Amino acid sequence: MTALARAISQPQPVEGFASPSPVEGLARRSVGFPDVLGQSVSAVAPAAAATTIPLLIAASGGSPVWALGFALVLALLVATTVNQFTKRLAAAGSLYTFVSRGLGRTASFITGIALLIGYGFVSMFALAGAGYYLSIVVDRFWPGSVGSLLLTAVLVVIMAAVCLLVLARGIRVSTRVTLVVECVSVGIILLLVVVLLAHQDFTVEWSVLSLQGVSPANFAVGAALALTAFVGFESASTLGVEARRPYRAIPRAIVGTVVGAGLLYVVASFSQLVGFAALGIPLTSSVSPVNDLAAAYGIEGVGLLLDVSIAASFLACAIATLTALVRVLFSMGREGLLPSAFGRTHRRHRTPFFAAVVAVPALTVVLVTTMLVAGSAWQAMAILIVGAAGGYLTAYALACVAAPVFLWRIGELTVWTAVRAALAAVLLVLVLGIYLVAAGSGDQFAGVWVFLGVMMAGVVLYALRHARRPWRRHTVGAYDVPIGEDLLGGQRGVEG
Amino acid sequence: MTAPRGAADQTPASAGLHARQPKAIHSALTVLEEVARCGAGVTARTISDNLELPRATAYRLLNVLVQDEYLVRTPDLRGFALGRKVVELASLVAPARPPEAVRLIVDRLREGIRGGVHLVRYGHGGLRVIDPDPDFPPSDRAHVNRFLSESAMGRLLLAERGQAAAAPARQLYSDIRRQGFAHQFENVKSGYGCLAVPIRDRSGGLVAGLCLSAPRTRLENPTALIELLQGGARDLAPLLA
Repeated sequence: MTALARAISQPQPVEGFASPSPVEGLARRSVGFPDVLGQSVSAVAPAAAATTIPLLIAASGGSPVWALGFALVLALLVATTVNQFTKRLAAAGSLYTFVSRGLGRTASFITGIALLIGYGFVSMFALAGAGYYLSIVVDRFWPGSVGSLLLTAVLVVIMAAVCLLVLARGIRVSTRVTLVVECVSVGIILLLVVVLLAHQDFTVEWSVLSLQGVSPANFAVGAALALTAFVGFESASTLGVEARRPYRAIPRAIVGTVVGAGLLYVVASFSQLVGFAALGIPLTSSVSPVNDLAAAYGIEGVGLLLDVSIAASFLACAIATLTALVRVLFSMGREGLLPSAFGRTHRRHRTPFFAAVVAVPALTVVLVTTMLVAGSAWQAMAILIVGAAGGYLTAYALACVAAPVFLWRIGELTVWTAVRAALAAVLLVLVLGIYLVAAGSGDQFAGVWVFLGVMMAGVVLYALRHARRPWRRHTVGAYDVPIGEDLLGGQRGVEG
Repeated sequence: MTAPRGAADQTPASAGLHARQPKAIHSALTVLEEVARCGAGVTARTISDNLELPRATAYRLLNVLVQDEYLVRTPDLRGFALGRKVVELASLVAPARPPEAVRLIVDRLREGIRGGVHLVRYGHGGLRVIDPDPDFPPSDRAHVNRFLSESAMGRLLLAERGQAAAAPARQLYSDIRRQGFAHQFENVKSGYGCLAVPIRDRSGGLVAGLCLSAPRTRLENPTALIELLQGGARDLAPLLA
């Protein structure tokens, strides 16, 4: 150990680390693993997805269990590919920053727009969902209020204010609360599963797994829908700067979220199918399968609890997704793609305050307008989720293409990683194409056009801003670098 | 580093260690050694070539070491440098005994004060107890570098660095700088507290510290004790700086 012992006893000064990190101003290295995990889990909102997605897949003619199983494998491929970045660089811009290290600024900006669409639309979707489910809860006490647009809109505005407050105060409170909320909701769903299976004396109807009558096209649409249940798992990577031990915590949170959510989906969809098969009615005839099942199996008491917890799950999802969104905006502000004010942080709470103050009210206004135009919260949600899925899948596909290039650039590419990334990218493009075509020809066509329109508008905006400020080209892709204090022989900033 | 750590973070270091891992640990230490030998900025490919390790194995080891912060990546992400945590390994090795003149002064203090008097040295981003009181040995928790923010001797060091994320910690550290000593009550051992005064070199840099641990009740009005400790610190400064 001579060289190591020498390095420890007489540290050689190391140059190039002493300057402050480019993302300075956030609460660097301040949140632990539970918070990072909470961020990803709440952005995925597994409880809300497990109760709604199986029905959507069944309604599209697919097989929920197989589609969710396939989506789990694909999401794992994507997650492990994204982790090639999260193991190596800690950024607040997530995929937007990652892609810049592999494919350069133009691809990075397209990823950024796609990611902002994903986060923006999902946060509006989740706010609308929370408002909708809360209005169902209110309806139990004041019948007749469930369809009221005014009530839902008021609830949405109140919850947006809550989100803004939490975002400004710092992430630690929000991630812990949301993790607890998700655990409770998932617990209720699992309880229901056990009760359901116990009713059948644990002899289940395996024929519900049959793929008979599912055409390849239906299977693909089902798989695309199933994948939307997973989106958001990468959002832990927006805490790269703020997480303690980011190179360990973030990859674990991402893979853990995908595996945990995936297993829940498979179990929940299977039990919903079994439950409805035993009742002798098709799953697609139900509007709210979990509530109907609970009622049919004599535990309707959990109905209210379930509605409250789904509303809470949606609110948690909104908070987590907005947390991710403002950090991407923050990164863009720091790099000059957006006005530099977006890169400002709150002096005391060390959060991207300005981005939050701009983004949350803007999204709330757009959401309320969409609800008024679409006629109901549910209609608005159907449109928003298409745009969100398009944004996420585009960003994931670009990240999967960028990963091998990035690894090759730093000289760490291996064959298996390249194969995995390529497979993930091809499958994502296929799923995205099928999804957009299917949604575009159905009653959600508005969502597809909104997605394509916003993408185009973003690219034009980028081209304009870029033409006016060509010197910005070298600044894209700011990430946290080790500061002097982190390394042996680095210069430490000692004050007083 | 200065923020309090969540309980869930503190899994024991041995968690998940299996019988087949000694080989991997050997490889990891070889990689650390190689980074030390080649100097900051060495690339993954160079390391795998020099050590004749398969590429995938070398990349995996390097990433694990980065995850645990024994290594850090250089800002261009290609190269590696030794992380400050490597020093934690070194601080486990027993420190050299301080000179006779130093021990005489510390022993004299011990005769005058009831309680444990410890001499601490700062350096390499951490602290080491170089002369623990044989009658009242310091708690392990007091001088482990990951709990710096809880012990008086650790707080002296953190106050010197002057970086704190949370407002209460910032207030605490500015108080320490203003008063010229650090204290803690019942953070380490219930019913006990600790005082720490700095020993500085001529340019004012923190080089060492004198700590007193005693029952909490005796430390609540510390003026006389602080004067005693500061007197000792003045005598020790030329010998340690």
